[in-house]
Amino acid sequence: MRNPLRKRVPRELLGDWHKYAVIMLFMVFMIAVVSAMYVGNDSMLKAAADGKTKYHVEDGRFELDQNADEEFLSALETGKKADLKAYLLDKAYEEAEKSATEAVDEAFAEQLKATVPEEYYETALEEAKKSDEYTKALDEAIQKAHTEAEKTVDEKYREAEKEYELNDADFTERTVSVVEHFYREESEDHDSDGKEDATIRIYKSDSDVDKACFLEGRAPKKSGEIALDRMHASNVGIEMGQTVTIGGESFKVVGLISYANYLTLHQKNTDLMFNAFEFDVGMVIPEDYDRLTSREHYNYAWFYEEEKPEGDMEKASYSSDFMKVLLTQTAVKEYEIKDYVPEYLNQAINFAPDDMKGDKTMGAILVYILIGVIAFIFAITISNTIEKEATVIGTLRASGYTKGELIRHYMTMPVIVTLIGGLIGNILGYTVFKDVVVYMYYNSYSLPAYVTVWSFEALLKTTLIPLILMLVINLCVIVKKLKLSPLRFLRRDLSKSRRTKARRLPKWSFMNRFRLRIIGQNLPNYLVLFIGIILIEVMLCFAIGFPESLNNYSRKAPDMLFAKYQYMLMGMEDKDGNPLETSVKGAEKFSCTSLLKKNENHDESITVYGVSKDSAYINIDDAIGEEEVFLSSAFAEKYGLKKGDSLKLAEKYENQSYEFKVAGIFEYDGGVAVFMPNRNFNSIFNHEENSYNGFFSNEKITDIDEKYIANVMTKKDITKVTDQLQHSMGGFMSMFEYVLFILAIILIYLLSKIIIEKNENQISMSKILGFRNGEIGSLYIMSTTWLVVIFTLLGSVIGYGLISEVFVIFMQSMDGWFTFYISTSGFVKMILFILAGYGIVTIADFIRIRRIPMDEALKNVD
Amino acid sequence: MPEEKEFLVIKDIRKSFGFGDTKQDVLRGMNFTVKKGEFCVLLGPSGSGKSTLLNIIGGIDSADSGYISINGDKLEEMDEKTLTMYRRKHLGYVFQMYNLIPNLNVKENIEVGEYLSDHPLDIDELLHTLGLWDHRYKLPNQLSGGQQQRVSIGRAIVKNPDILMCDEPTGALDYNTSKEILKLIEDVNQKYGNTVIMVTHNDAIKHMADRVIRLRDGIVRHNDINIQKISAMDLDW
Repeated sequence: MRNPLRKRVPRELLGDWHKYAVIMLFMVFMIAVVSAMYVGNDSMLKAAADGKTKYHVEDGRFELDQNADEEFLSALETGKKADLKAYLLDKAYEEAEKSATEAVDEAFAEQLKATVPEEYYETALEEAKKSDEYTKALDEAIQKAHTEAEKTVDEKYREAEKEYELNDADFTERTVSVVEHFYREESEDHDSDGKEDATIRIYKSDSDVDKACFLEGRAPKKSGEIALDRMHASNVGIEMGQTVTIGGESFKVVGLISYANYLTLHQKNTDLMFNAFEFDVGMVIPEDYDRLTSREHYNYAWFYEEEKPEGDMEKASYSSDFMKVLLTQTAVKEYEIKDYVPEYLNQAINFAPDDMKGDKTMGAILVYILIGVIAFIFAITISNTIEKEATVIGTLRASGYTKGELIRHYMTMPVIVTLIGGLIGNILGYTVFKDVVVYMYYNSYSLPAYVTVWSFEALLKTTLIPLILMLVINLCVIVKKLKLSPLRFLRRDLSKSRRTKARRLPKWSFMNRFRLRIIGQNLPNYLVLFIGIILIEVMLCFAIGFPESLNNYSRKAPDMLFAKYQYMLMGMEDKDGNPLETSVKGAEKFSCTSLLKKNENHDESITVYGVSKDSAYINIDDAIGEEEVFLSSAFAEKYGLKKGDSLKLAEKYENQSYEFKVAGIFEYDGGVAVFMPNRNFNSIFNHEENSYNGFFSNEKITDIDEKYIANVMTKKDITKVTDQLQHSMGGFMSMFEYVLFILAIILIYLLSKIIIEKNENQISMSKILGFRNGEIGSLYIMSTTWLVVIFTLLGSVIGYGLISEVFVIFMQSMDGWFTFYISTSGFVKMILFILAGYGIVTIADFIRIRRIPMDEALKNVD
Repeated sequence: MPEEKEFLVIKDIRKSFGFGDTKQDVLRGMNFTVKKGEFCVLLGPSGSGKSTLLNIIGGIDSADSGYISINGDKLEEMDEKTLTMYRRKHLGYVFQMYNLIPNLNVKENIEVGEYLSDHPLDIDELLHTLGLWDHRYKLPNQLSGGQQQRVSIGRAIVKNPDILMCDEPTGALDYNTSKEILKLIEDVNQKYGNTVIMVTHNDAIKHMADRVIRLRDGIVRHNDINIQKISAMDLDW
């Protein structure tokens, strides 16, 4: 025979259907969202992972300053380092011989000039060069020069060896294939109004590497056709068939794509955030590509030929080996490496999958916390039921029901509710909600087409773990509660402490003392309410504060520019060797480079500025020593550095690092940057005196040819991070705010319902004694109101403190910096959200109190 | 008659509550025996220790010293689990308050007892015996006090226990209903042959018992065999 007690479960469910409906809806919604997140994520992640093979994604890329020759590429493919020393020596010998010959020639010439009449001079010189004396002098000079050269090369090579770790014992030769993957960066004018709207990186449509997934349309087949990134198109409103102007030429959009190596549109690998508004990628047929005029980027993709590395550690080791080959081979060819990004560090490839994985973790944590809160709500409910049914439990135990049977009985409800929540939640997760999540991801990233995959993890994390959580929390509470002897249940003697005296209360009015007693009796409920409100406040703080922080940053952006225009030059001289100068008034030279700040988890790219003396744009003390620098306030804040601290920055592609002492903080929130006098800059980075590579100017510089300008930084460059974040997360955040509002209502509703139900007898008795509904309401509701107000205020402060801290940690894991900001009105909103939710619940509570009949107390007198 | 052959043996049971100055001896060496099938009434004023004794016999409370043996099994030697199983197999409880499960109907409340037994009585027959057949689908709050107590007796008796423990079963009932309930217990005792131990402070009830144990100040004052029992319906108080 099955335990007849189980018949109570459906009746309990029906009897208190609104409570269970609220809990179930809440669970279903939460589980559906997270399950969808897992299913959507797993499907997307699989699509992204599969895409690596399917679309032949590179193992890395590098860019050179010029088109490399076949010999160089073949040398690279062998995986062998070039003999840098021999090269340096040959070069040094050649130079030494040349200068030695010149010196000897000059000495002879001078000697002859003094002794031979001018008309015989040329003949005499030729004769002299044939003499033994000349040969001897030349030999001696060359020998001396060789010795000098050898010494210099030795020293130079030792330095290089150290810098590039060329003698690394772990170095392994790995054959690779290197493929040309050139591109041009053109201006994109999608509304053909003559103004540049974005930069588009154009590849050839016949490329065999880093291919694209066509989400709509097809590849360009003839001149004047283009396929471009779907995400960008959607963001800026480009549609299929539309004509866009690229580099001054018109193209018809025939395809919307996702490049497998541009899952996020990161223009530079060091960009804090991708920018799908002002950066785009696309393809045109090779003939059109050749017709475009902007500078060609000599970008190459490499592929490991034998075994592919697995995991970041192995990938790093492979990349480090390849880097050595590339460094030595480019050195002997005198090519310059402009960019180097192995696949595992490529943000455009990894940002989206990493972010999606992060979302799953966040989602799961959120579900666990919320399930934990629900589990406690259940535990309190059950605990109250046990108290209410004490004598029944006592009778059952006296009749021979085991503790186990009763524990199982009381556990049934939370388990059933969780199972149903999990089941329906997962079904919704796989259907409706998955589409929402997928839509959300497609709205943020340039992802390829996907196929829904079954996610065991989703089931595990959204059903099994919540179930375990529910079981454990309730089991602890129920086991503890049912530990008492049958006799104590029969006597309703359930309290742990055998307090005989009532607690003394302050000399407040009767009503207030009564309220205090209510609070005292319901402490566990209020504790859960407290935790719940803090939790909601923390999330609200994030939901309200995050967009506000972005807005705040955008608002301040104009002040974050040193000048209206910040020009970065390709070099210091034009092709004829003349220095790049401008006559624009107020233009000021500066130098700029970037170094790495190595951190435990994340190496951050730091911009280093060399500032002209008495700069009108960056006001720092010019007299500081070479080892001293000023930090931007963003830098100081992000890493908690102050004047007098020291910091170490390293070269990105060289084994060279620099130690600096902080001379002061320069108020600048636009970036994580370091400032030093240009004099120091040139000396530290071995540049010639008075070198520079950029101009600050409040006027547009028109007298420098655009081809010498690498880029111009404007307000948009500063806000592109926040703009993208706003676009990706803004909508989600406001939705999140409403979800939290509902969550607050649910939580407060459930807990205040429990408090009133627990006190039904007392409320009924108060009615019998003559208290009016209003008075009873003011007793029971007011005590909860006091606490809700206190909890909300505390919660908002705790929420702000916690999120500010978490934000610092979050920002430290990525490049750049902006501070967490929440306005006073944001704070008020945080508080009002909870109080408004509570206000709604209060009405329901009052109705519930009014409905408690007077005979309730009489019926339940034992 | 040798002691071991008695069905229920209460031997030198002592029990006190509190410590030091507040220590109160509730049972001060109780000794008596009950035969199988006997209707035994424990009679005494408030505080005489009768409910405490019943709880100790029922295995839901323990004695400080002495022992209780039921059919040769000593309760003192049983651990909590064994005691629970013992209660499950051999004992039925009826309390002054009915302690029914509010959201189970009459029949289901009785099934709660049936579930515990390997050889339960037929529920339908029992419902007739209890006079609850017409009310079997009602919930407890639709029943009168007497009817609720009948359900509670049904729940206790359905598992056909060796001993039916009744703690003031008529304490919350009016005169007529009380007599009906006493009659029911009498019928059950006669029909099913269970040993009945009933705690009451109502002196009149002694007349329907086989054995009357009078308690005062924690000891047995009288242990009488009732030769001329009268039926519950003929009682008067």
